[in-house]
Amino acid sequence: MATITQAQASTAGPGFQRVRSIASSRHLAKIGPLALLGVLAYLVLQPLYRLQELALEDNARGYRTAFGSETFAETLGTTVVLALGSLVIAMVLGTTLAFWATRLPRRLGFLKVVPILPIVLPSAANIVAWAFLLSPKPGYLNVLLRKLPWWDHLQEGPVDIYSMPWIVIITGFSLTAFVYLFVSGGLRNINSELIEAAQASGSSSRRVFFTVTLPLLRPVLLYGGGVALLLGLGQFTGPLLLGRNSGVDVITTDMYRSVSQTPIDYAAAAALGSPLLIFGLAVVIMQKALLGDSARFVTHSGKSFRAQTRPSKGAAAGIATFGIVSTGLPLVALLIVALSPFWSGTIDTGSFSLDNFRKALDDNAIKAGISTSLTASILAVLIALPLGFLVANFLLRAKNRVLRPVLDFLVAVPLGIPAVIFGAGFLLTYTRPPLILYGTRWVIVLVYVTLMLPFTTRMQLSGLVSLGTGYVEASRVSGASALRTNLRIVLPLMRGTMASTAALMFVLLTHEFSASMLVRSSTTQVMGTVLYDYWSNGAYPLVAAIALIMSVVTAVGVGLAILVGGSDVLNKL
Amino acid sequence: MTRVQIESMTKQFDGKPPATAVDDLDLDLEEGEFLVLLGPSGCGKTTTLRCLAGLESADTGRIAFGEQVVFDQERKVNLSPDKRSIGMVFQSYALWPHLTVRKNIGYPLKARKLRHGLADGWVEETARMLDCEALLDRYPGQLSGGQQQRVALARGIVARPDLVLFDEPLSNLDARLRELVRTELAELHGRLGFTALYVTHDQSEALALGTRMAIMRAGRIEQLGTPRHVFSAPASEYVAGFIGMANRLELNQSAGLWTLGSEPVAGSVSSSGLGSLVLRIRPDDLHLHLPGMAPPPGHACVAGVVAVAAFGGRHLDVVVTVDGQRLAAEVPIGPGTRDLEAGTAVTVSFDPACAATFTPDGALVPRPVDGQPPASVKVG
Repeated sequence: MATITQAQASTAGPGFQRVRSIASSRHLAKIGPLALLGVLAYLVLQPLYRLQELALEDNARGYRTAFGSETFAETLGTTVVLALGSLVIAMVLGTTLAFWATRLPRRLGFLKVVPILPIVLPSAANIVAWAFLLSPKPGYLNVLLRKLPWWDHLQEGPVDIYSMPWIVIITGFSLTAFVYLFVSGGLRNINSELIEAAQASGSSSRRVFFTVTLPLLRPVLLYGGGVALLLGLGQFTGPLLLGRNSGVDVITTDMYRSVSQTPIDYAAAAALGSPLLIFGLAVVIMQKALLGDSARFVTHSGKSFRAQTRPSKGAAAGIATFGIVSTGLPLVALLIVALSPFWSGTIDTGSFSLDNFRKALDDNAIKAGISTSLTASILAVLIALPLGFLVANFLLRAKNRVLRPVLDFLVAVPLGIPAVIFGAGFLLTYTRPPLILYGTRWVIVLVYVTLMLPFTTRMQLSGLVSLGTGYVEASRVSGASALRTNLRIVLPLMRGTMASTAALMFVLLTHEFSASMLVRSSTTQVMGTVLYDYWSNGAYPLVAAIALIMSVVTAVGVGLAILVGGSDVLNKL
Repeated sequence: MTRVQIESMTKQFDGKPPATAVDDLDLDLEEGEFLVLLGPSGCGKTTTLRCLAGLESADTGRIAFGEQVVFDQERKVNLSPDKRSIGMVFQSYALWPHLTVRKNIGYPLKARKLRHGLADGWVEETARMLDCEALLDRYPGQLSGGQQQRVALARGIVARPDLVLFDEPLSNLDARLRELVRTELAELHGRLGFTALYVTHDQSEALALGTRMAIMRAGRIEQLGTPRHVFSAPASEYVAGFIGMANRLELNQSAGLWTLGSEPVAGSVSSSGLGSLVLRIRPDDLHLHLPGMAPPPGHACVAGVVAVAAFGGRHLDVVVTVDGQRLAAEVPIGPGTRDLEAGTAVTVSFDPACAATFTPDGALVPRPVDGQPPASVKVG
């Protein structure tokens, strides 16, 4: 072999060595993406595969049990009604708020972050707070409402937060923030000259809205609506915390019950998730097919959206009201309960104390939960960030017609499939060989990394896209290798994007609830699951204290994000 | 500084159908030559440049820098950009915003491990040549467009590469600054003598800067020559249109009479013996005469009507319609032209020697050999 090589080298001259080294570096360039693909496929697809494997075992016994039960039709119906009902509420509220946000007076511009705050509040804390406000008997708002003359004869109510309509409303509130984010993003991307051209052509503001703005927003509304629908179908926190006792069951809560309560039936749980799984995959595939190449969406220049009419005080008042109702009231309720020795409909300021916080911070289970949440979240961020950078780089620069769409699809899957299903899949994959991680923090870390794939990839991809190709090309033609270019040029320029990506992932993970509920074990709990246990035991003041502590952790995360990424970090979501 | 050879290079871009950006291109850059690629957008000039840089990979062909083969499709050689001895100046400047001017200019030296260059003060020397020495410790965001472009030029040449590539470097500057930097660039090349490939769609840049210029069309070179030669003798109608011969006159001959549309053309036009011809002529080679004024002897003449006369400072930009065809004329302001306005009937004349003559499908009709007066076609 060596002699042949030598002979060839001598005839081919110095160029030959170069040919070989290029061939081997090409080899590496091919293996790298393949390895990346392998890792991601294992993370994303193996849990889903394991679910199907279990559900189809024994001649599809899991499917027969799950779909054969008499309550299945009702559960499915409840799931769909919850999703559609909350979708309608979220679309109307979210779009309205986005329009109001464009009409804010300059001085009150800061109000535009208000509709996003419900995302930043831990969902478990938010739901618990609504229970404190609207639970039929001791709910603070119900007590107030019963003071009204036409309701003063009632012993409880008039609102029952544990009933289906109110679960729909509360869920709709929490989805509003997502729709708001999409629609305001869409509005920002509309060139204001298009609006002005319509006005200059003689259209009234109303006509401009219906003939220009709305048609331009259609793709955004479709996309945002699709995401909100998926989130609605996968809702877990609300139905679990509010609907368990009143018999409002959805698919996700049924799955949870199948893996956590006797008789435990993993196969049935696996089968239950399939309708959501199929729908989620269908949406992701459709979205990829419709929108095509994500790298095509280069940020475009031009003047961004400006208010079509004069600033409106009414718009500011509307947003402020939404903020008070969706964020202010729940926080106040949490604070009152956390300061009180017990939860009753009356507020006794004389008995307020910090005892519950002290108890919470002394409690070993809670301390362990906080510590696990923080370490798992930080580890997951440290893994997801470089992973997302690699994937984003590959999606942007690679031209491979097979690898690229597959990778693009893989990182989008966790957005389409509810976290509960991923939780179940990870539970069932990592409780058996080859990797038995159940009961350790690592299974939580892995599921967190998987859930964050869409965020870390998409945010860094848009960062890279807006960086353009010029800086990288200028570095390569200056003689810098790909590695040097990444280290000296790309990373420094991406610092802001990466920092805000990291901070946002940290925020989302520290109050992750759905997947954590499935992969937790008695010894490995996170903040949200600890909160749920205390909620189930009826230790409400402690629950309120934990919820506030979670909110503070999140607030610190958001603060850090704004510090490193600038004040529009929230808009990048 | 070296000789650069491109042999039968082809580059296609995916699509339905695939677009051929560069089509079997052969091009040699002599050592120290400043070669300008001129053409409209989409003609393949930027793709050619990017293939030389290694930012795009050609589909077939061979590229060599002196003795070093940097691309050879048959032998599977394709050096990445950092392995090629090049410098490049971008249209958008592409100065890294997180590095100071000094670090931006010094970057190629570090990346190419030219420590002696750093030690010998190449950065400062190059900055001095480009008049941006005072800016060395600033960041690109603090510079004006013209200053940024100077820094980008400095970065492109600081490592003394074999080949400097310019990708429409002046098109983001305003008109006055563009002329200033253009002359500085010509001066710099005269002093340093680097080999350069310069891509532009601006004919005045090509004429002013090029040792030679190549006019590209659909991935091929339509004409290659010195600016003076191309300017005076365009090889095809396409080239003529691109170097400022904006007027296109379709002439037909029947029964010995030349007509432009239905208007008869008086005077000698061509001796080619063809039945129809296309003449290309620059606006400043068209002359206008009010009724009663005689055109210079030897000129071809045709009657027309002024559609627009716009004041241009030292001259008038006049559009004349001749049987529906619009001709642009740039005429000096003088006694004969002061009164031109829309509707004025004029005689348009031109010296046939100033026009380039083509067949209707754009091929050059050779000029008659000097000393043999063309057989003229007289119109009564």
